[in-house]
Amino acid sequence: MPMTDNSAGKTGAAPEGVRARDRLALLTADNAAVPLPAGVQAITAILLAVLLIALPWLGLGYRFLSIAITTLYTAIGLYGLGLQFGQAGIMSVGHAALMGVGAYASAILSVQLGFGFWTSLPFAMALSAIVGGVIGLPTLRVGGQHYIIITFCFCALFVVVLTNGGTFTGSATGLDVGSVTPLPGINFDKLSNNYYLVLAALFLALSATYLIGNSRYGRTLRAIRENEQLARSVGINVDLHKLGVLMVSGLFAGLAGVLQLYYLRHISPTLFGAFPSLYLALMVMLGGARYLYGPLIGAVIVNFLPEVLNLDPVDSRIAYGVCLLLVILLLPGGVGAGIKNVYCAVRGGLEKQGGGTNGRA
Amino acid sequence: MAALEVRGLRKQFGGVVALNGIDLDIGTDQVVGIVGPNGSGKTTLFNVVTGVHPATGGTVSWQGQDITNIGAHRIARKRLVRTFQQAMSFPGLTVYENVRIAWEQGRMRGSRWASPGMILDFVGLAPLGRAIAGSLPFGSLRRLGLAVALGVSPELLLLDEPGAGLNDSEAQAFAAVIAQLPPQGIGVCLIDHDMDMMSDLCDRLIVLDFGTKIAEGLPAEVLADSKVREVYLGPNRKAAAS
Repeated sequence: MPMTDNSAGKTGAAPEGVRARDRLALLTADNAAVPLPAGVQAITAILLAVLLIALPWLGLGYRFLSIAITTLYTAIGLYGLGLQFGQAGIMSVGHAALMGVGAYASAILSVQLGFGFWTSLPFAMALSAIVGGVIGLPTLRVGGQHYIIITFCFCALFVVVLTNGGTFTGSATGLDVGSVTPLPGINFDKLSNNYYLVLAALFLALSATYLIGNSRYGRTLRAIRENEQLARSVGINVDLHKLGVLMVSGLFAGLAGVLQLYYLRHISPTLFGAFPSLYLALMVMLGGARYLYGPLIGAVIVNFLPEVLNLDPVDSRIAYGVCLLLVILLLPGGVGAGIKNVYCAVRGGLEKQGGGTNGRA
Repeated sequence: MAALEVRGLRKQFGGVVALNGIDLDIGTDQVVGIVGPNGSGKTTLFNVVTGVHPATGGTVSWQGQDITNIGAHRIARKRLVRTFQQAMSFPGLTVYENVRIAWEQGRMRGSRWASPGMILDFVGLAPLGRAIAGSLPFGSLRRLGLAVALGVSPELLLLDEPGAGLNDSEAQAFAAVIAQLPPQGIGVCLIDHDMDMMSDLCDRLIVLDFGTKIAEGLPAEVLADSKVREVYLGPNRKAAAS
């Protein structure tokens, strides 16, 4: 396929002598649809995998590893949110509640029926998926902001139900579970092993996101995001796919919720209320929902920011607010978009230096 | 038996009767033009036939099957495909991806195109494959709309004002592309206001006015029809125009 002049489109190929406005255009450019070369993708994936696998051996301490585990299971939930928002264009600000459905399902199965981590996991994920689909029913009638309010209401309702659920849900105190059932030779009480468990799940979530994004299914979702009417007119069952992607998102949320439960070993309703949900929405926007590593980047920033800058909870909320404003103003596609735009600009610059060889990407 | 048979089709929006009992027969071997003044129900006819709006009454059947009100995506899957009056695309995706999405939907039921690239070649968009659809100039966007519709492997293509907003040379080039479709087994039914283009391109013309069909036949016959001239030129100017 012939390569066209990308600088004519919305791609951020920066010419010589960029002015301030051009620099801003570089940040706000939308290069999400520009394909990356397979080599670049592979190198990024390998570097990231090596870094994440080596993390417990870097001697960064117990506290660092705890935050890393929190970051990773949060990121798993975010990959679901990234799929429904980034690919299909359906935002939710009640996503923590969906993680809560998984966590509580697993905890209740453990308390009432004695199910362990592995046996309760499929049930918890399935329940989250079903609940995700049921909350999704209104998307067939309303979209955008209206649906966001519905998810917010679900979140509030979920906390009320849990708080008033008596001993079944543990009321405001919540529920406790034991540790993850050990696999032969692996005891998950050890923090680094728990980290690897969550990391393995993250790799699954990342792989699933990558495969979906590059499949016909992913393109179908993007078609719905971009133009519902046109999507219908080419034969896409828009209603079915909207519910479907919310169920897939629910699967991710359920997995994240169960991992959260077995890392904390104790859950209570406040973990799944409005504030955690808003943080999830913040993270996915901050990182960039349309980019493969966007949700992970968002989770890393929000979880490590208070630690790195030594902020107390109130200060960190202010910092998050500032971050969100900066992203909306400067990087509407998130930090992931910024990184890709810089990459596209550098590549565009190199191609120009190469005498306009129209090199293939 | 014609592939598309419309019988007594009615559409009411509240008290407004947009379609008042339309009968149509359209085959897949011709170019059929639908003309009429603004508000005569042309686009509504397309919207009801392709399931965008439900019909108030009457039936639409396609290849012998009743497809009245079965939903837009099901109708598209039966290879009865339409384009829109406003040039539509998936704006944030590349031109290639736009066509690929439609092509993949059509391929599930067997496609006439071996690859999305063939469709881009056919409509003359191949050099723009990597451009973002939302950044295309209007003429190219119209071609993309056609390419997306063709991607579904239609047997009958309903084109809603494909020439609107194009300059003369663009419109002529577009008409040349459309004229190539019936020999390949893709019937075309199009709405347009450009009478010169319509009479050159169409094998048959249908004239709508106030939601009813007032004339149908060969372009020359229809344009000579006194009722059609009255609708288009007004009763007082009949003498001046002839």
